[in-house]
Amino acid sequence: MYGSASTHDLPTTATTGLENEDPILLAEFEARIARGEKIEPGDWMPALYRKQLTRMIEQHAHSEIIGSLPEGTWITRAPGFRRKMAQMAKVQDEVGHAQLLYSAAETLGKTREQMLIDLINGKSKYSNVFNYPTPTWADSNVISWLIDAGAIVNQLANAKGSYGPYCRALDRICAEEAFHLKYGHDAVVHMATGTPIQRAMMQAALNRWWPAIMTFFGPSDKMSVHTEILMRWKVKMASNDECRNQFLDMYVPKIWEIGLTLPDEKLAKNEETGRWEFTEPDWEDFKRVINGDGPCNAERIAVRRAAEENGAWVRRALLTPKTQYVRPLA
Amino acid sequence: MIQSFDPRMNRLGLPDAPVTAATKTALDQFGTYEVFHQKKDGAPYVYVGPVHAPEADVAFLFAKEQFSRRFACTGMWVVPTAAITVTDYVGDQESAYDFLPLLPKSVAPAPGNADDTAGEAAAYAAGEEDYDIFHLKKRGKAHQHVGKVRASSPAAALQVAKAVFGEQRPVVNVWTTRSADVLRSDEEDRDIWSTTPEKKYRDAISYKVQDRIEKFKAENK
Amino acid sequence: MDPKLDLLYRLADDQLILGHRNSEWNGLGPILEEDIAFSSMAQDKLGHSLQLYNLLHNLGEAEPDTVAFTRNAPQFHCCQLVELPIGEYDFSLTRHFLFDHAELLRFEALATSSYEPLAQVARKLRGELKYHALHANTWMKRLGTATEEAIERMQGALNFTLPYALGIFETTEAEPEIISSGLFIGEAELKSRWLESITKILAQTALDMPDLNLLTPVNGGRYGQHTEHLQPLLDEMAEVFRLDPTADW
Ligand SMILES: [Fe+2]
Ligand SMILES: [Fe+2]
Ligand SMILES: [Fe+2]
Repeated sequence: MYGSASTHDLPTTATTGLENEDPILLAEFEARIARGEKIEPGDWMPALYRKQLTRMIEQHAHSEIIGSLPEGTWITRAPGFRRKMAQMAKVQDEVGHAQLLYSAAETLGKTREQMLIDLINGKSKYSNVFNYPTPTWADSNVISWLIDAGAIVNQLANAKGSYGPYCRALDRICAEEAFHLKYGHDAVVHMATGTPIQRAMMQAALNRWWPAIMTFFGPSDKMSVHTEILMRWKVKMASNDECRNQFLDMYVPKIWEIGLTLPDEKLAKNEETGRWEFTEPDWEDFKRVINGDGPCNAERIAVRRAAEENGAWVRRALLTPKTQYVRPLA
Repeated sequence: MIQSFDPRMNRLGLPDAPVTAATKTALDQFGTYEVFHQKKDGAPYVYVGPVHAPEADVAFLFAKEQFSRRFACTGMWVVPTAAITVTDYVGDQESAYDFLPLLPKSVAPAPGNADDTAGEAAAYAAGEEDYDIFHLKKRGKAHQHVGKVRASSPAAALQVAKAVFGEQRPVVNVWTTRSADVLRSDEEDRDIWSTTPEKKYRDAISYKVQDRIEKFKAENK
Repeated sequence: MDPKLDLLYRLADDQLILGHRNSEWNGLGPILEEDIAFSSMAQDKLGHSLQLYNLLHNLGEAEPDTVAFTRNAPQFHCCQLVELPIGEYDFSLTRHFLFDHAELLRFEALATSSYEPLAQVARKLRGELKYHALHANTWMKRLGTATEEAIERMQGALNFTLPYALGIFETTEAEPEIISSGLFIGEAELKSRWLESITKILAQTALDMPDLNLLTPVNGGRYGQHTEHLQPLLDEMAEVFRLDPTADW
């Protein structure tokens, strides 16, 4: 799962540094992308491209590893064999996605350990929705279905981006997301069409999660110079609003058809414009949470820190001078 | 202590505030191994991604579950990243073999020697070795194994590979590695994948819920 | 109890409880790749238990979900080894090593069981268990020859875990009939194979094998006597399931 690299992450005042790049190399680089060819790790690339991609893939990786925690919360309590095994497999996949994405980011020059250090020291961001808790099994189901659905919208777009290693990772990830989406939908449908207790649990979870889901794709795009460059370079592939609209188009009808409601009276599709209208999410609250003051920020980081600290002796024991770290190839 | 909805975390006893500032040092970094996977007998080994591991045997354990826990698999190779020689990447219509640096005459091998069985023993005795060759056909796709050559160095192996596989086009990038550096799964161990296709709970197709939705809609018209 | 049921319940409950315990590591492992591998093996164990509960169901016992999610500790036949909390990774790995060697050898022997449905399951799982043992052996050998810190930890874990591991081989009243009817080779024979097998691996490490004759096996599990950890585990596992026993989750 994944929250988009939204525009608020981009440098707003710093220069792009493009004026310092070799104009011939830059032109070749841009021509390659314009031709639809992917960029591979051995290629020349502008510093800004490397920096933005590193940040974006790294954040995506963090979102996977942190994103495994809200559903991991229910891993020991999933009801019945069918759910228990699938919940384990899904949480495992999310850890696997982190592994794939850290590897892709490493090809750009930042080591995985450095990325993990930055994460546990609170220096890196990850998708803000994972700073909210999953107090019931139904909350976990809502994530499995709808947060993953949102992630798929993003990831399918990004899989068409320009960086080869990221595309390869996303191809693998998207194939697994198909399982997550179906599993999540299956679980939500069972609850929504089940006993009154199940139904009430599911509606309550959906009410809790809806505001966060509406922020998942990030604030409305204000096109800056930098976004234009990143779009030209196929780093950023779709606008936040586009993704959100696509998501609503695909999933709101599926939510309504099983008799669930959404806690936004304004939510409706404008048939004339083809766009969904809704109550503007509370972006001030979003900012507050993403900057550390959410219900679970401290816990999420503390968990990663504990995992790293408790595992340190294992890694120390296995380090051999024989295997020198070099960047993975692709 | 942080109170969590996750009983596992409550058992961990997470402190409210971080105890130490930094928990990892720069040294805390394994080498990486590149992983190749075979879908079915006779299919080429295809690159699937890297794993971090201290040794090849551990890399294999890791690779097996990270890259082949779904779908059929008949074999897996792991290679230390540092043992792979990489050519320049060229355009999607070009061949990386056209851009190989020229070798001095003394090092350049006679083309086609890989199939010369008569001279084989002598060549090995003279220090030549087998090299595995992988091609990338299109940027954004994955490297695939195309075969082996015999040579005295990675650079020489690329020259031989050019003679043997150079007809193939396009070749965006070539990887070459000493065959001795490749850890290959044993033929007799391929049953470690025998139950993988049965683990249907990991597959999207196991979750069919449309009937249930239709029934609900019919009952709640 | 009928010897078939007796044997199947012991096998199935071991797999369920250890699979459940090992799943607790998911997302908390020492290395990302190891996190994934360990989770797979936990899933495998759940899968094994499900297949065994299905055999029980075919013999007239309740549905697997009912059997797994509604019984209480005294009705469980697992050994106490599997119910202990995950502790630190040294313990979890050591338990995995000691249990999975027994598991591999047990299923190898069950491949020729006179009870054909069980023999079939055992034959099918061969490759899966081979990977588990390979994983356990590789880790044991690596950590058991690594830093002083690691060797000390692993030795401590081994000393602590072995008495519990001996509890795997606790026999029940059905044992003579299990052996005579060709259902299974019996726990004593399994134990001696297991001992040989783990000793061979430990010999390749800096770890000392404690004298088993001086250890008292932690028994009782096969008769429903458990540590204080099992009931809370079961309550946790069934927390959602029991919210609404009529529900289809
Ligand atoms: Fe997912
Ligand atoms: Fe994911
Ligand atoms: Fe096992």
